[in-house]
Amino acid sequence: MTYYFNNVYIKDKYSLLASDKYTPIVLNDVDYFKNDYYMGQKCVELCESKYQEIVIDGLLEKTKITNDKIDILINGDLQNQILSSTLASNKFLIPTLGIYSACASFIEGMVIGSMFINGRSNSNVIVSSSSHNLVSEKQFRFPIEYGALRKRTNTLTASGSVAVLLNNTKSKIKIESATIGSVITTNHKDTNDMGSAMASACSETLIKHLKETKRKSNYYDLILTGDLGIYGIEIVKEYYNDVTKEKLNNIIDSGSIFYNEDNIFAGASGPVCLPLVLFDYILKQKQYKKILVIGTGSLHSVISTNLKLPIPSIAHAISLEVSN
Amino acid sequence: MNNEKYDEIIKKVIKEDDISKNVLVAFLSGGLIGVFGEFLANIFDNFMNTNDSYLAVFIVLVVIGSIFTGFGFFDKVLSICKCGLIVPSIGFANSMTSSAMDNNKEGFVRGIGSNIFKLTGSIILYGVVFGIIFGFIRSVI
Repeated sequence: MTYYFNNVYIKDKYSLLASDKYTPIVLNDVDYFKNDYYMGQKCVELCESKYQEIVIDGLLEKTKITNDKIDILINGDLQNQILSSTLASNKFLIPTLGIYSACASFIEGMVIGSMFINGRSNSNVIVSSSSHNLVSEKQFRFPIEYGALRKRTNTLTASGSVAVLLNNTKSKIKIESATIGSVITTNHKDTNDMGSAMASACSETLIKHLKETKRKSNYYDLILTGDLGIYGIEIVKEYYNDVTKEKLNNIIDSGSIFYNEDNIFAGASGPVCLPLVLFDYILKQKQYKKILVIGTGSLHSVISTNLKLPIPSIAHAISLEVSN
Repeated sequence: MNNEKYDEIIKKVIKEDDISKNVLVAFLSGGLIGVFGEFLANIFDNFMNTNDSYLAVFIVLVVIGSIFTGFGFFDKVLSICKCGLIVPSIGFANSMTSSAMDNNKEGFVRGIGSNIFKLTGSIILYGVVFGIIFGFIRSVI
């Protein structure tokens, strides 16, 4: 289902990057960089909540808006019961909606925020999300120091956090429409290759968005996907070509371009990967006017993997209009 | 799009890995650890009987594995040596130590105690079960 918005704008963002491993593409452009997996906390889980605390604090300071002017804080992350988002919200006393759709959490939050703001006046919504390399290793893969060989299709979770402020005041970035995707499940079961699982949901959402808005793919200057990795993005191109008999030339995957160094498997993943690349790399280039952003998430859990269920995946899309 | 067609697209994009090089490296590194173990066993033979010296070798390898894990370079060594490191007792030590390290901030009982056998629990359980079964068979035959 595609929703259109009249008066939803992205006012500002605040981003944090917590590791310079493999020199991420946004290394010099983020608002806050500290090469630290602990931030003075006693474990990595608490550290991730600290990341989110820092970005929400930073955003409030940067935009000079006080806590009580914020209508909703929407946040999500990859931890069990979205612990780091909950702990981060604890400090601010802002009405909070916790959400989860794995690496699509950030885009899901922006969709919910836009739907809330649309048609209102003087509304402010903060959307934030975080991920931490070591936390997701523990959560979804093996213990941190466990010597597990990685497959070529593995992705490396990016560490950091991003918060954005959405409101009604006209700004350079307008959220024009959003398409909410449905959960797609194929036969694919390999959790070492989430790109292949998410590519199906991504293609379905892309095709649905273009169909419902009656647009061609070249209507957009750029289609930016979340964390499909270098193989997932190829699958999307094949899929799109197969269904519509057209070629996709203007698509970039944030996960594939996130790390500058070669030989880092399939690329980056995590809910922060897409917003970091979008706000600190793509939008700073100032060459794209119409951007379709598709967040993709692989919704498996440890239990679904042990039960050998196929990986369910989801993708949500938002269309941005940028003016200079 | 149906699932079979989607599988075909995945196969087309992601080619099968060539594992022969990894297998060769693992064969060599695993073999080298075996040689190292024999070397230790020969030294220990001077101080104790043969059964005890193999046990001592096992203990030394587990200690080495745990220390490597604790200092955080086991996974780096493994990325060079491949699975040759996992199969000997060093890998066993690595799985136990890494599980314990992950949860050490959650306390001695609910953190370390309940998580240390998270990965190795099944090795121990089925080791014991099959030990009983084969011990029984052996005693009958």
